[in-house]
Amino acid sequence: MALFQKISQLKEFVEEVIRILYYYRGRAVFSFSGVALGILSICIIVTTIDGANKKAQEIFEMLGPDSIMIFGVGEKQRAARIRTSTLKVEDADLIARVEGIYDLMRVYSARNVMMRYRDRNWQTLVIGSTTNYFDSLAWKFQTGVTYTAEDYANAGAVCVIGARVYDELFKDEDPLGKTILVGKLPTRVIGVLEERGGSFGGPHVDDRIIMPLTTVTSRIVNEKRYLSLVRVKTNRDLDRTIEDIRITLRQSHGLQGSLDDDFTLRSSKDILAFVTVISGSLLLFLGTAAVVALVVSGFVLANLFYLNIQERKKDIGIRRAYGATRKGILLSFLFESVLITFIGGVAGILLSVVLGSTFENLFDIPMMFSLKVVVFALFFSFLTGVLSGLKPALTASRIEPIEAIRG
Amino acid sequence: MIDLKDIKKSYFVGDRELQILKGIDLKISRGEFVVLMGVSGSGKTTLMNIVGLLDKQTEGRYTFENIDVGGLNDETLADMRNRYIGFVFQQFFLLPYLDAIENVLIPIVYSKKGIKHPREKAKGLLAKFGLEHRVHNKPAQLSGGEQQRVAIARALVNDPELILADEPTGALDSKTGGEIMHLFKMLNNEGKTIIVVTHDPKLATFGKRLVRIEDGAISEDITT
Repeated sequence: MALFQKISQLKEFVEEVIRILYYYRGRAVFSFSGVALGILSICIIVTTIDGANKKAQEIFEMLGPDSIMIFGVGEKQRAARIRTSTLKVEDADLIARVEGIYDLMRVYSARNVMMRYRDRNWQTLVIGSTTNYFDSLAWKFQTGVTYTAEDYANAGAVCVIGARVYDELFKDEDPLGKTILVGKLPTRVIGVLEERGGSFGGPHVDDRIIMPLTTVTSRIVNEKRYLSLVRVKTNRDLDRTIEDIRITLRQSHGLQGSLDDDFTLRSSKDILAFVTVISGSLLLFLGTAAVVALVVSGFVLANLFYLNIQERKKDIGIRRAYGATRKGILLSFLFESVLITFIGGVAGILLSVVLGSTFENLFDIPMMFSLKVVVFALFFSFLTGVLSGLKPALTASRIEPIEAIRG
Repeated sequence: MIDLKDIKKSYFVGDRELQILKGIDLKISRGEFVVLMGVSGSGKTTLMNIVGLLDKQTEGRYTFENIDVGGLNDETLADMRNRYIGFVFQQFFLLPYLDAIENVLIPIVYSKKGIKHPREKAKGLLAKFGLEHRVHNKPAQLSGGEQQRVAIARALVNDPELILADEPTGALDSKTGGEIMHLFKMLNNEGKTIIVVTHDPKLATFGKRLVRIEDGAISEDITT
């Protein structure tokens, strides 16, 4: 019975606060829209960062957590856009012998090669690689198959095309078995890759064709000595393997003492670190904006609450006369402010869902909505409510009933 | 029920002490209908605030329902007001955002009595005062007399022993004021203890007892 009474009293109390908010709705709307904007920006930040991290994780998974890439260009040359390779075919053989390496993919790539099918032309990136290319990158086929060891040994004129190339050359036509011109070499299409999306700062990843390494180096370009890229997987510690490869390559290239590396080693860890830096600066920038918005709206709220109390002195007096304790007054005003910011918070979350999907479509920023975002946002709106409402509510609770009624 | 012994109350205005009540001795028993009469500035409202546990005396001893209220804390005083006293004010003091019945229910929100079916009870009180068709009207839609009747229903909903009314007719025309006073008479006949504070000599005859305050002291105490 006592509990039942408590519950019905609580219900009465909550209903009353809602009526108060409705009665003073002009002011309430003004108050909670400030909170809504703050919460909106918090939601956008969290979802964007979560999205970026998820994307990073996907890249990481795609490249493989145990993979290392070796480019035949040093860091300084890369910065100067010099592309002359220093990675020799023998280097790849040496790297293969480093402890812990269980997969090695060789790549020679040629940029801007003209392709032709019927009357359609398209310039693309031609990748020559070993037969493990697709497995190493966990890249699946929409249709068709990879080239065989036999194709590799015989420098066969066959190719697998990326989704973008398929769209440009074939549109809706079945490409399997069709012959296209790659540079001057008539080549048979044997497979189409699944779309992967993204560009990672370079050309679009789906804009490429892949052929046996031997075909590219002997029949498209004449390059028998150098590779563009070697990609390995290791079952040993990543950093130690990288160090071993560095030592091997420096020896092979005759680099001594303080001479810079004339090659570059990249692991998926580096990519993850890069994304972490990006999302860190995003957090700093957007986070500052959101905190400023919330603090400002907190001050505006506090002022409105003071005004509210001045106007409702008689209200407070009556309640005190009829048995409200100081604590009761404190709690009801605090509840009112928390409810306002809470409504603001919910509005902000809903807004961010709408805006988030717009952003996603406009800027290709992945957004990750999760329970975490909702909890985070509601916590912040609650905090704003308590912080901005506490002082005014304390003032209200200290008003003496007689002074309020005399008012 | 009420026992005031040598109650004094003074305020400081700057560094000058201003004595409002200069030693009041007053006993009021259950079932009385007292009209507390005095001109403005006589100290009658201060006395009512002390009797109503809204203010504390500077000196003297006040026993309410055999409890010395001198040393009680805020929480206990609030509970006692809720339990024993129903207030009626000159300006009605209904909350503008609540309709009639919700205004009547305010004391219930703070009540520990466990009143059964408070909503029905509030409705019954409004009906008793001829307001059954006004249950869901906001104060702004009610006339002065109607507002004061809602306020009286509010004073009664938690079954208090004592009704304390401060100039309850002050904002009403004399006909409506008379109706309100008759209502108090009716409640007194039902057993409620009533104290009406007023400056209006016309109301003197409504009570069973007239206490006149002049310059912070009782100058007359007649039982009619």
